[in-house]
Amino acid sequence: MLGIMVRLACLVGIMFVALPAGPAWARSLDEILHAGTIRVGINPTLPPLALFDEKNELVGFDVDLAQEVASKLGVKLEIVQVSAPDRVPFVASGRVDVVLGGMTRDTLRAKVIDFSVPINSENYGIITREDKSFSKLSDLDNDNITLVQVRGGAVISFIQKNLPKAHLILLDNYNDRDRALAQGRGDASFDRIDSMEYRLKIFPAIKWKIIPSPEFGVTYSGFGMEKGNYSLRDWLNIALYELHTSGMIETLWEKWFLRPMDTKVPVTPYF
Amino acid sequence: MSYTVQFSQVTPYMGYLAGGACLSLQMAAISFFAGGTVGLACASVLEYGPAWARWPVKAYVVFFLNTPLLVQIFFFYFALPDVGIMLGSEQAVLVGMSLNAGSYLTEIMRTGFRVLRRSELEAAETLGFTRLQTIRHVIWPHICKVLFLPLSNQYIILTLTTSIAAIFGVEELTGRAYNVNSQTFRSLEVFLIAALYYVGLTFVASIMLHMVGYHVFGIRRKVF
Repeated sequence: MLGIMVRLACLVGIMFVALPAGPAWARSLDEILHAGTIRVGINPTLPPLALFDEKNELVGFDVDLAQEVASKLGVKLEIVQVSAPDRVPFVASGRVDVVLGGMTRDTLRAKVIDFSVPINSENYGIITREDKSFSKLSDLDNDNITLVQVRGGAVISFIQKNLPKAHLILLDNYNDRDRALAQGRGDASFDRIDSMEYRLKIFPAIKWKIIPSPEFGVTYSGFGMEKGNYSLRDWLNIALYELHTSGMIETLWEKWFLRPMDTKVPVTPYF
Repeated sequence: MSYTVQFSQVTPYMGYLAGGACLSLQMAAISFFAGGTVGLACASVLEYGPAWARWPVKAYVVFFLNTPLLVQIFFFYFALPDVGIMLGSEQAVLVGMSLNAGSYLTEIMRTGFRVLRRSELEAAETLGFTRLQTIRHVIWPHICKVLFLPLSNQYIILTLTTSIAAIFGVEELTGRAYNVNSQTFRSLEVFLIAALYYVGLTFVASIMLHMVGYHVFGIRRKVF
């Protein structure tokens, strides 16, 4: 028994000691230029930010944007697939230089990684079906309402605070959320509405209703990178300024999201 | 620029994660006993049942042994509503896990039934045992000895498999770890704590199984 405890203690000890000890360096701008490739983490479960096309190749807004950035940098683009729970470890361990995929900026997350200036705005609202009678957010605060949400959305703590009576089902990804709503597993979802035009195309039989709700405010997402990698961040900020002012980001947005960006990102030469 | 491990943002969630661990434990126990019942029934049919009953049971076992659990639960959760059967998150996962465990446990229990030798039963008959006495003193101890180890291993596997439930909206340990991760972005710290909780769950289960095995069946089951 003692032997077992000692072995367990060693195991736990190794886990704690090994993590901070391992050098995990992100690559600076110079190192990326020298290597000739930039590694961008992209999450394929968030169409139309990224998705697999019929040739099983990764395409989408994030892919096009990453390609634009790589061209400006004059290096080759290397896409690394990431998912919601592992994207920060990917950045922290230096396996990707920057990460995309709806990286909504907030103060809690900014303690762990650095963000570039905004790429796009994120607008929120109620996603429901025509046969439901909701017209505003406060209609959802009722204990016969079930909200279907995705784990890790920035809105979860907002819902728990402002709609405490509603029941909550947290699913793994947006495709599962859409299907659950279509099947009537829940009454509505309060989340980002930017991609809904694109997403709900696959349920032509259902009459959807999308109600924009300004209560949550507008959030912005940018590139995420390792804390303290200022050489890369500063360069990306200038690249994004150029991509915004040239209209490239809006063009890519309309190509993938099938409509203009709801809230324009205010572009300023100061950052 | 290297990453510094910081637990301070995650420690307030320790109790929340522990609540998830309780649910994981509960789900493992329910699906193990439900799966055990299914397994016992199916193994009995396969070994002693009439031929017409064996085919559907065989089909069930083969189907569930050869398809991934994730796909099975996906079917119960997302395909059944299209034919009008709406299972809740936890129900769908428990049904899937129980039926999946049932197929494995069927095969395990069949081996248990087969270890009985005719000579043992004849010896019991010669000693004048009634049918109940034969079961109590001959069949039961022998089957238990053979089945205890594979059954307890299956229980440990089930405990870890409960993490699949997170995908279907069950707020168990992994689901809650995902929630905390997305709020804090402290992935390494959150999943390290979740992993330690899982080690805790299986460690406690191992010790309990060791004690049950030793004191009830006289079997030494290694804790590690």
